[in-house]
Amino acid sequence: MYDVIVRGGLVVDGSGGPGYLGDVAIQDGKIAAVGRIEGGAHRFVEAEGRVVAPGFIDPHTHFDVQLLWDGAAKPALEHGITCVVPGNCSLSLAPLRAADRQRVIGMFQQIEEMPPAAFTEAFDWTWEDFAGYRAAIEKSLSVNVAPLVGHSVIRLWVMGADAQERAATADEIAAMQVMLRECLDAGAVGLSTSFVDVDENGRPVPSRFAQFEELDALSEVLGEYGRMLQIVPEFYAIDITIARIDQLAELSLKHNIPTTFSPVFDSTATPDNVARTMARVEEQFARGARVWPQMQTRPIDISFSLLRPSLFFARLPRWVRILRQPLEARIAALRDPETVEKMVADLGPDGGERMMGRLVVRGGDGAPAELTGRTLSDIARDRGEAPALALINLSLEHGLDVAFLNANAGHEVTERIGPMLAHPLVHIGASDGGAHLASFSTYGDTGYLFSEFVRKSGALSLEQAVAKITAETADIWGLKDRGRLETGKAADIVIFDAATIGRGEERPAFDMPGDGMRYVRAATGIDTVLVNGQVAYAAGAYSDARAGVICV
Amino acid sequence: MTLSLQRRFVTPGPGETVEEIAARALPDQDQGAAVDAIRSWNLHIFAMRRPPGLLLGSDVVFVEPPVG
Ligand SMILES: [Zn+2]
Repeated sequence: MYDVIVRGGLVVDGSGGPGYLGDVAIQDGKIAAVGRIEGGAHRFVEAEGRVVAPGFIDPHTHFDVQLLWDGAAKPALEHGITCVVPGNCSLSLAPLRAADRQRVIGMFQQIEEMPPAAFTEAFDWTWEDFAGYRAAIEKSLSVNVAPLVGHSVIRLWVMGADAQERAATADEIAAMQVMLRECLDAGAVGLSTSFVDVDENGRPVPSRFAQFEELDALSEVLGEYGRMLQIVPEFYAIDITIARIDQLAELSLKHNIPTTFSPVFDSTATPDNVARTMARVEEQFARGARVWPQMQTRPIDISFSLLRPSLFFARLPRWVRILRQPLEARIAALRDPETVEKMVADLGPDGGERMMGRLVVRGGDGAPAELTGRTLSDIARDRGEAPALALINLSLEHGLDVAFLNANAGHEVTERIGPMLAHPLVHIGASDGGAHLASFSTYGDTGYLFSEFVRKSGALSLEQAVAKITAETADIWGLKDRGRLETGKAADIVIFDAATIGRGEERPAFDMPGDGMRYVRAATGIDTVLVNGQVAYAAGAYSDARAGVICV
Repeated sequence: MTLSLQRRFVTPGPGETVEEIAARALPDQDQGAAVDAIRSWNLHIFAMRRPPGLLLGSDVVFVEPPVG
């Protein structure tokens, strides 16, 4: 008698081989048999007309804090994600001394666009070390978690404030090695570092003050465990990205570790960048190095309102300063003609037409319905104002609660992206799940892979697409029990309709601590998601199952 | 398999200045010109960064112009 039999679906097992009609039997959280299965079960899950695939793995997320109050990493799980990797980009919530919490919250706020209330209202900080953080999330996980530990926080732990001032001494590097070993022993899947990020004061994050020797010493520890090094390279400059690929390759070869870098995305402004990146990646793989470029499926869409700071203004320091002020002061500044004159002047002689003209007014609570869907360029012309001024005034007229969408700001040409995603050395990921809350939805990229690149463009077969986000991901990260529908593997399973799976519409939700807003997408075409043999999501509803584990 | 030629770079040592980088990476050149050249090849450090020219241990500092 099995616990569960998933019956009569098209089994796409993650291997990339052709799907076949069959059943999947589950016993004690593991796959007990695959194929034509006789015998009974306590529960049958009907999958006729559906695809039965391994649960999807999301290798680039920032669910570190959300997992403390939401063990399903909603809505990732309903999109078929059964394993998330938090702790990317040099930032994690452990090891972290109480005295340094505020500093790291500031970094999450700046880099990952997460509101401070998310770190203060929904849970108690019960830990400082990695094992303590693990225990804090492990109590109520519905998804599996393979957490990275952040280089910036390890540095902060060992060096205190000096972590953002100087190179480490030999003793400090040795202490970081000890701490990294402790984290890996406590279940960290690897180390993340960043070469681009700054904190909320514009100061480079701690990891950027490290000499290459420091990263080499930490990679030596990763080598003892064969675990992952993730980095954020200077993605805006191809020469620097290639230099980073070479550094990663050196570390990969020397310490026999997998490495990955993200983001890698296409831009029609620099159309050769991905090809040049991949050419170098191919050369390095040919030498035996493992340097996995991580690429997102979705186009770059950024939404914002003047209610909160946004990445959109990253290149306009005056705007960032003003939008960071408390609401009253911000509104006062935006009403001050002298300030506004300078802000508009920052956009240059075209008054913001080039940067802002293509913005579209989103629907939403504050937005006047008659403006929804219109471009700022169009609205500004009607108003007889420069686009930057129209953006400010229109926002002021509606309590700043007017959301604008900068759609297709990169990585948007399906015919170009499809073959890139299909490349055998491209690692599909980089969703940034759980971050950039008010800028764009970081959920549904896997659905988009199927709707856009399997159904619409045909760049990948169904089997290829499944393999990319299951078995291949598990292999890259060394998650031995995951990613395949094979006897003995963990029963992480997603059952979906290949004809309708998609990412759903992007819409604002107010479900963050402190009523914080974020953009989400509700999954379409996903019937059932099982995690370690238990139904975690079915027929549009989350269950009470808490079968997720730290799966490293 | 040999790697194709890419742009040469160095990483700054602890506390190293751009003048010191020029002296070790481009020892045969006029040092004033070498410093100016390094600045012009590394706008990500010397123009885009706040404060401009703050050298970090993890930086990629190119010591030649773009290849090709
Ligand atoms: Zn990230």
